[in-house]
Amino acid sequence: MSVQAAIDLSSDRIRVDDVAPDLAGRAGLVGGGALGVAVVLGFLGGSEAFFRGYLLNFAYFLSLTLGAFFFVLIQHATRAGWSVVVRRLAEQVMAGFPLMAALSLPLVLAILLGWPNGIHAVYAWTDPELVAHDALLQYKRGYLNGGFFFVRVLIYFGVWIWLGNYLYQRSLRQDVTGDVRLTSEMQAISSPGLILFALTTSFAAFDFLMSLDPHWFSTMFGVYYFAGAAVGAFALLAVLMFTLQAYGRLERCVTTEHYHDVGKLVFAFVVFWAYIAYSQYMLIWYSNLPEETGWYLVRQQGPWLAVSLALLFGHFIVPFLGLISRIPKRRKQTLLIGALWVLALHWVDMFWLVLPRNIGHGAEARVAGLDVWELIQCAVCFIGVGGVFVWGLAGRMARAALIPERDPRLGESLGFENL
Amino acid sequence: MATITGEIDNTWDDPRQRAPLVTGARTLHDVTDAVCRVVETEVRKTPLAWTVAFAISVSILGMLGLAIGYLFFTGVGVWGVNNPVGWGFAIINFVFWVGIGHAGTLISAILFLFRQYWRTGINRFAEAMTIFAVICALLFPGIHVGRVWLAYYMFPLPNQMGMWPQFRSPLLWDVFAVGTYFTVSLLFWYVGLIPDLASLRDRARTKLRKFLYGLFALGWTGSARHWHRYERAYLILAALATPLVLSVHSVVSFDFAVSQVPGWHTTIFPPYFVAGAIFSGFAMVMTLAIPAREFFGLKNLITMRHLENMNKIMLATGMIVGYAYSTEFFIAWYSGSVYEFFAFKSRALGPYAWAYWTMVTCNVVVPQIFWSKKLRTNIPIMFVASLLINVGMWFERFVIVISSLASDYLPSSWDYYRPTLIDILTLIGSFGLFFTFFLLFMRFLPMVAMAEVKMTMPQAHGHEPHTDGRRPTPEAHA
Amino acid sequence: MSQATLPAPARTAARGAANRPYGVLVEFDSPIDLKVAAEAARDEGFTRWDTHSPFPIHGMERAMGIRMTILPVLVFACGATGMLTGLFLQWWANASDPIAYQFVFEYIPTWFQAFLGYGFLVSGKPYFSLPANIPIIFELTVLFSAIGAVFLMFGINGLPCWNRPIFQCERFRRVTDDRFFLCVEAADPKFDPQRTLRWAESLGGAAVEVLYDRDESDDQPPAIFARVGLFSALLALIPLLIIVMARSSKSESPRWHIIQDMDNQERYKAQQAMPLFADGRSMRPVVAGTVARGAEFLQEDEHFFRGLVDAQLATSFPPRDPTRDEPLIVDDAFLRRGQERFNIVCAQCHGRDGIGQGLVNQRGLELTGDRGGAWVQATNMHDAEPRGRAHGHLFNTITNGIRTMPAYGDRIPERDRWAIVAYVRALQRARNARESDFPPDVLRELEARRP
Repeated sequence: MSVQAAIDLSSDRIRVDDVAPDLAGRAGLVGGGALGVAVVLGFLGGSEAFFRGYLLNFAYFLSLTLGAFFFVLIQHATRAGWSVVVRRLAEQVMAGFPLMAALSLPLVLAILLGWPNGIHAVYAWTDPELVAHDALLQYKRGYLNGGFFFVRVLIYFGVWIWLGNYLYQRSLRQDVTGDVRLTSEMQAISSPGLILFALTTSFAAFDFLMSLDPHWFSTMFGVYYFAGAAVGAFALLAVLMFTLQAYGRLERCVTTEHYHDVGKLVFAFVVFWAYIAYSQYMLIWYSNLPEETGWYLVRQQGPWLAVSLALLFGHFIVPFLGLISRIPKRRKQTLLIGALWVLALHWVDMFWLVLPRNIGHGAEARVAGLDVWELIQCAVCFIGVGGVFVWGLAGRMARAALIPERDPRLGESLGFENL
Repeated sequence: MATITGEIDNTWDDPRQRAPLVTGARTLHDVTDAVCRVVETEVRKTPLAWTVAFAISVSILGMLGLAIGYLFFTGVGVWGVNNPVGWGFAIINFVFWVGIGHAGTLISAILFLFRQYWRTGINRFAEAMTIFAVICALLFPGIHVGRVWLAYYMFPLPNQMGMWPQFRSPLLWDVFAVGTYFTVSLLFWYVGLIPDLASLRDRARTKLRKFLYGLFALGWTGSARHWHRYERAYLILAALATPLVLSVHSVVSFDFAVSQVPGWHTTIFPPYFVAGAIFSGFAMVMTLAIPAREFFGLKNLITMRHLENMNKIMLATGMIVGYAYSTEFFIAWYSGSVYEFFAFKSRALGPYAWAYWTMVTCNVVVPQIFWSKKLRTNIPIMFVASLLINVGMWFERFVIVISSLASDYLPSSWDYYRPTLIDILTLIGSFGLFFTFFLLFMRFLPMVAMAEVKMTMPQAHGHEPHTDGRRPTPEAHA
Repeated sequence: MSQATLPAPARTAARGAANRPYGVLVEFDSPIDLKVAAEAARDEGFTRWDTHSPFPIHGMERAMGIRMTILPVLVFACGATGMLTGLFLQWWANASDPIAYQFVFEYIPTWFQAFLGYGFLVSGKPYFSLPANIPIIFELTVLFSAIGAVFLMFGINGLPCWNRPIFQCERFRRVTDDRFFLCVEAADPKFDPQRTLRWAESLGGAAVEVLYDRDESDDQPPAIFARVGLFSALLALIPLLIIVMARSSKSESPRWHIIQDMDNQERYKAQQAMPLFADGRSMRPVVAGTVARGAEFLQEDEHFFRGLVDAQLATSFPPRDPTRDEPLIVDDAFLRRGQERFNIVCAQCHGRDGIGQGLVNQRGLELTGDRGGAWVQATNMHDAEPRGRAHGHLFNTITNGIRTMPAYGDRIPERDRWAIVAYVRALQRARNARESDFPPDVLRELEARRP
C-alpha cells in the first residue's frame, strides 16, 4: 500500500536560494579573512600555535562532516523512513568533503614538506632530529612519515569525496526524476560504505590526532573520534532545522516528531560518547602501564584538569540530565539550546585532544601550560575554518531543495509519530 | 484458517512501500490462534519431535549435573586449568553464554527504540533465549570458585569476618552486571508476556490452565489506561535495557582489558565484545527460530523478512568484529610493544593457530555470504552459517583467553593448555540446560508476542491486508 | 446490528443482591470504530469509563483524553536512589576508613562490627576509586530504575486484580484476541441506566451488554486449599523443630563434618604406622652414606649453636664460628655488629639503653595498663638477675624466648645472636662501670669535671 500521504507541501518553502547566497558570501569573507589573520598571527606568535589552533578546528569541522556522512549512510542502510525530511540537510553537510580536503592542505603540506618548523613541535615524528634520537619513532617510521601520511590522506579524502558525491548526486537527481531505483542504488552502496567509513575515519583519527603523541596508542581512539563526530553532527542537524524554520522554511514538513527523534539521537550519542570515553580512560587507569598513562596524566595536571572536568560534566552529565526527558526534546527552543551546548562541548573535546602535551623530553619534560598565542589561534581559526565551512554549506543549500522532494519515503517521514 | 504453512517471500525491497510483516493475509484472530494453538495442545498429545528433543536435552542436562557433582566433590583440579593458563573453559563458556543472551535484549530493546517493527515476530523468542542463556552463563562463575559453599562471599552481605567484596575488581562488577541483566531481562520478558498470558487465560479450557495463566496475567483487561502506562513502562525498560546490554558485555570485557596481559589489555574491548555478543546471539536466535517456525507452523509470523533482517544484522556485527581484529592488530604493531605484537603473531602462527583460523573463518569469512541476497534468503544455508558463527564465536573467546595466557611475558612460563573431559562435558551439558528450558518455554508459553505482532498488522489501523506478502504488481499500488 | 441483552440470569437474581448494574459494555470489531466511540464518550463527559483492546491503539490516548503518566519521573527517582546506593555501598565497604575506628572499636557492639567497612589496598588503587566504582553504580541505577518501572506500573495500574465484574461477560474473552470494547461504569456521575444504554446502542458497535455486580459469596477457593495449606505449614515447622532440638540438647557423638575442606588428608603424619616398610614406620631414617651439607645443617658445635658447654649454659663466647670456619673474636667490629642488631631487633622493647622502656613496651603498657597483667614489662638488662646470667642463658633467651618474649631464633642467625649477647654485656658493663674500666686519660678528664 502506498504511503504517499496527501500532505500538502505546496505552501511550505523548501528552498533557501534567496538568503543563502548572501549568507554564504558574508561567511566566506569572514572566514577567509580570519584565516589570513591566523596566518599573520602565525608569523608573530609562532607557527606551532597556528598549527595547533588550525588542527583543532579542522578536526572539529571534519568531524561534523563525517558525522553527517555517517547519518546519511545509516539512514540508507536501514531503509529509514522518519528521517527523509531531514536527510537532505545532512547530505549538504556531507557534501563538504572537497572543501575539507582543501582545508586540510595547510597541515598536510606542512607535514610533507617539514616546513614551517612549528609542525615539528606539533607532530614530533616529522622532526628528523627527534626521530634520530628516539628508538620508538624509528620503529614507527614505516608508518609515521610524511610521504605515507600524504598517501593515506589522499585515500581518506578520495573515499569520502567519491562516496559522498555518489550519494549526494543521486539524491539531487531524484528531486528531478523521482526515480525509485536511485534509492535502491543509494541503499546498496551504504552498507559497504559504512565499512569504508569506519576504516577511513579510524585511521584518519589515528593519523591526525593520535599521532600528536606518537608514543601513545589506543585501539579505541578511532571509535572515540567517531562518537564525538556523531554527537556533533546530530546536534548540528538540530541547529540547522531550527535555523531554517527561523527563516520561515520547512515550517510544516519538519515537525515536533523530527525534533524529538534528532534529540533522541543527540542524547543517545552523548551517552555513547561517555561510554567510549570512560572505557578508554578506565582501562588505561586500571592497568596503569606507563606507556599508556602519560597521555591521561598530562590531562590531569595544570590547566588541563579543568578542561577534563568540563568535559565530564559538560559533555556528559549536563546534556544527559538535560535531554533525558521528552519535554526538552519536543520543544525546538530547548532542543536548540541543548544542541548548541553539545556543539560547544564537542569543540572543547577537540581542544582537549589537541592542546595538552608535555614540553621537552625525558627528565626535563613538563606539562605545557595555556599559551596565549595558542588560545588566540584556536579562536581565530575557529572563525576562519568555521566561516569557510558555513560558506560551503550555505552555498550548497542555495543550490538545492532543502528536502528530497521526490524521495519515495517522504510521505512516511511526514506522517510519523513518536510514542 | 488456523493452519499456517508455506513460505511466502516478503523480502522484496520497494522504497515506496513497506512489506507486510505478517504474511498470508491473516486476521488478528489467526495470529492468536497460530501462537496459542501450540501451547494449548494437551500434554498427552505433545508432538513427538518435541518429546524426543526434550528427552535428549534432559539427558544432557543430567550429564551436566554429574559433571558438576564430580567437580564439587573432587575439586577444581578436575578441570584443565593450571599454570600458566589459570582461566579456561569456565570463563570461555561464561562469556559465550552471556554473549548469546545479548541478542535478545537487542531485539527487545534496541530495535524497539529504533522502531524496527519486524522485531515483534521474534522478540518473545529472543528474550526467552536471553534469560536461559544468562542462567547458563551464571552457572559458571557459581561452580568455578572452588569452595562453592562460600560463593556468598561475592555478594555484599555483612558476615562474621567483617569482609566485604573487592569492589574494585571487574570480576565483582560481573556479579552485579550479569545479576542486573538477568533481573531486568526477566522483568522485561514477563511484562511483555502479560497480555499474551491474558490471551491464553481467555481461551483456556481447563481449570488448571485458566488458574495458572490467569494468575500470571494479573487480571489484565487490555484497558487503554493500563496500556498507556504499560507502554510507558515498556519504553522505559527498553531505554534502560539498551545501555544495560552495552554495559554488561563491556563489564565482561573489562575482566580481560583491565589486566596487563598482552592481547587482553586493549581499549577497544568493550564495544568489540558487545558487537561480538550480538553477532553470536543472533546466530543462536537463527538456529532456534528456523526449526521452531518449521515445526510449529509459524512461517507467517516469523517470515523470510525476519530471517533476512537477522542475517543483515549478523553481517553488520560480524564486520564490526572484523574491524576490531584489524584495529587490534594494527595498534599491536604501532604500539611498539614487543609482547603485544608477539601475542598477535602467536595467535595466527603459534600453537593455537588451529583455533585462530577456525575463528577467523567462521567469524569473518562465513558472514560474507550474506552480501548475496540469494544466500541470505536460503534457509539451509543460513542455518548452517548460524551454527558456524556460534562455533567461531566460542573459539574467539578460546583464542583470547587461552593463547594470551599460554604465552605471555616470560617464555619460561609458557605451556600448552588442554581441556579435560570434564571441561568438555560441562560445556556440552550447559547446552542441555539451555535447551531444556527453551523446549519447556516453547511448549507452555506463547512463542510469539501476539499483542505486539497485531500492532504491526494493517488491521491495527483499520485496513485490510492488500497483499499476502508477495510483492504487489505495479497496478495494485496505483 | 446492536442488541440489548436481557437482565441478569436467574441465578444471581434469586440471591437478590445483584440487580445493581455495574456498567454498560459495547463491543466493536475494528479499532477505528472504537476510537470514534471513545471520542464520543470523552465528549459526553464521562469520567469513569474505559476502552479495552488486544493491543494499544495508536492515538487512543488523545481520543480518550488520557493524561501522560507520572511514571517516568518516579523511575528517575528510583534510578537516582540506585546511583546513590551504589556510591555509598562501595565507599562504605572499601573506603570508610576502619583505621579510625581503632580508638572507638571497643564501644562498637559486636553485632554491628560485621557492618563496618574494611579498607584494603589492592594494586595500589585508592580506597575510594571512583573510576573502578562506576560500573556497579551504573548497574544499580539501572536495576533500581527497572524494578521501579515495573512495580510502579503495576501499582498505578492496580495490578494484580484478578476479580473484576467485566470478566463475567463471555464476549469479553475476545478482548485479548481480536475484539474491541468500550465500558462505561454505573459509578460515573453522568450514568443513567436508560439513557446511557440508548447512547451505547447508538455507537454502532457489534453488541451491547449490561453488566451487573456479581454476588461473590460462592467464590470461595476449594476446600482442598485450606487442608493442603495447613498441612504444608505444619510440615514447614519440622526443620525448625529439628534445629531447636539440636541447639538445646547435648550429644556425645562428634559433629557432622560435611565440608571437608582438605581437613582430613590422605597422607601419613609423623609417627604414623605404615605397613609398606618392614619396620612399620612412615618416618624413614636418613639413608646410609648421606652427607650433610656444611656446618649449619649438622650444627654439631653445641657451644656456637646452642650456647651449651658440657650440657651446661656456656659462660664464655664460642671460640670458633663454624659457619665461617674461622675463630670468633669479640672485637670492636663484632660489638658494633651486635649494637646494630640490638638496635634493630631488640631496642623496640628493651630500649636502646637496655633499660626496657622501648616504644613497643611503652605502647603495650598504654594499651593494656588498666587491665593489669596483659603486658609484661620488658626486662631491664641492668638488673642483678640478667647481669648474673651466663652468656649461654642470654643466647638461649634470644633463640627461644622467655616468658612472653617470643623466640627470635628464626630471625637472627647464630653469629648475630652472639654479637647481641656481647653488646648486652657491654651495655651492662657501661651501666655498672668501675673506675678501672676507664682508660686513664678519660678518667683524668672526668676527674677534672667533678664539681
